[in-house]
Amino acid sequence: MSENRKQEVAPAPFSPEDMARRRRRSIALALVLGGLVIFFFVVTLVKTGPAILNRPL
Amino acid sequence: MSAAFETRSEAVMAASPGEARDFFALLKPRVMSLVIMTALTGMATAPGSVHPVLAAAALLAIAVGAGASGCLNMWYDADIDLLMSRTAKRPIPAGRILPSEALAFGLTLSVGSVLVLGLVANLLAAAMLAFTIFFYAVVYSMWLKRWTPQNIVIGGAAGAFPPMIGEAVVTGQFGWHSLVLFAIIFLWTPPHFWALALVKSADYARAGIPMMPNVAGPEATRRQIVLYSLIMAPVAVLPALMGFGGLLYLVVSVTTGLAMIGLSIRVWRRTEGQPAVKAAYSLFGFSILYLFLLFAVLLAENSLGLMWALPKVIG
Repeated sequence: MSENRKQEVAPAPFSPEDMARRRRRSIALALVLGGLVIFFFVVTLVKTGPAILNRPL
Repeated sequence: MSAAFETRSEAVMAASPGEARDFFALLKPRVMSLVIMTALTGMATAPGSVHPVLAAAALLAIAVGAGASGCLNMWYDADIDLLMSRTAKRPIPAGRILPSEALAFGLTLSVGSVLVLGLVANLLAAAMLAFTIFFYAVVYSMWLKRWTPQNIVIGGAAGAFPPMIGEAVVTGQFGWHSLVLFAIIFLWTPPHFWALALVKSADYARAGIPMMPNVAGPEATRRQIVLYSLIMAPVAVLPALMGFGGLLYLVVSVTTGLAMIGLSIRVWRRTEGQPAVKAAYSLFGFSILYLFLLFAVLLAENSLGLMWALPKVIG
């Protein structure tokens, strides 16, 4: 697999339906990732106690 | 997967048309809901308590772990799923999800759920979840299912482990309570699945799966359904005798247990034509309600203060 061969073949165009489907999948993935961030934040607070937020700035 | 493609355009064209809901379907949401119910009951009946947020987080990890094992099962069974009417529309055989995508999704969720359970609960609960995923995906799906008519009997253990994981989350060990809940689900599995297998035996024959009706015959299967129901119904009363099920549970477990035995006997007696199909479907449908009711009542009694305590007879 050479770099030249990569450049020769243009990527297949996406149809509007493909784009819409990709967008929906991306949004779902973003929501899951956002949910995980909140999940780990809350679990950390509960496991370590609320005092973790009480520190001098 | 990327190594198999020479160019980006080939890889793009090979992407599946799967939507988020197809990935969710890979997790077998109906099985997941039963796992949530049974694991939560395992937590509620365990002697001890855990912070509600940590309990919810642990429950999520258990549910995702169960879903991951369902996903790996669908990945491995895609070839036979295509041959059966009940499963042909699943995301992989229907061509909406690539097998490689399902494998990556299942493995990622398996590892993630075990790690999260280890972090929010303890190592024993995490190890048990890992073992459950391994048991369902490897021991049942890859080995037992295509090899022996006892596939769902032994494999049923995978579906029976969640209450034990639930108890381990709360206490850090396994106790009698969750062992009894394990036994109830374990003994419930054969009558539940064989009732369906009696009706779908042509499907299973086409896929080459050695289900009990295809190997031992419908008559032997019907006898074993009655036998398992006769053992299961008294075992399901044990929580009331051991003090973690109250009066309501005693009434519900006895009446619905008798109904399970009655429906099993009907399956045994009606062997021909439409009445036989109807009897098998009735048992299959009621068995789901039965298990749900047992665990819902136990859960309500132990977590909502609805327990009308009975004298402890055993334990």
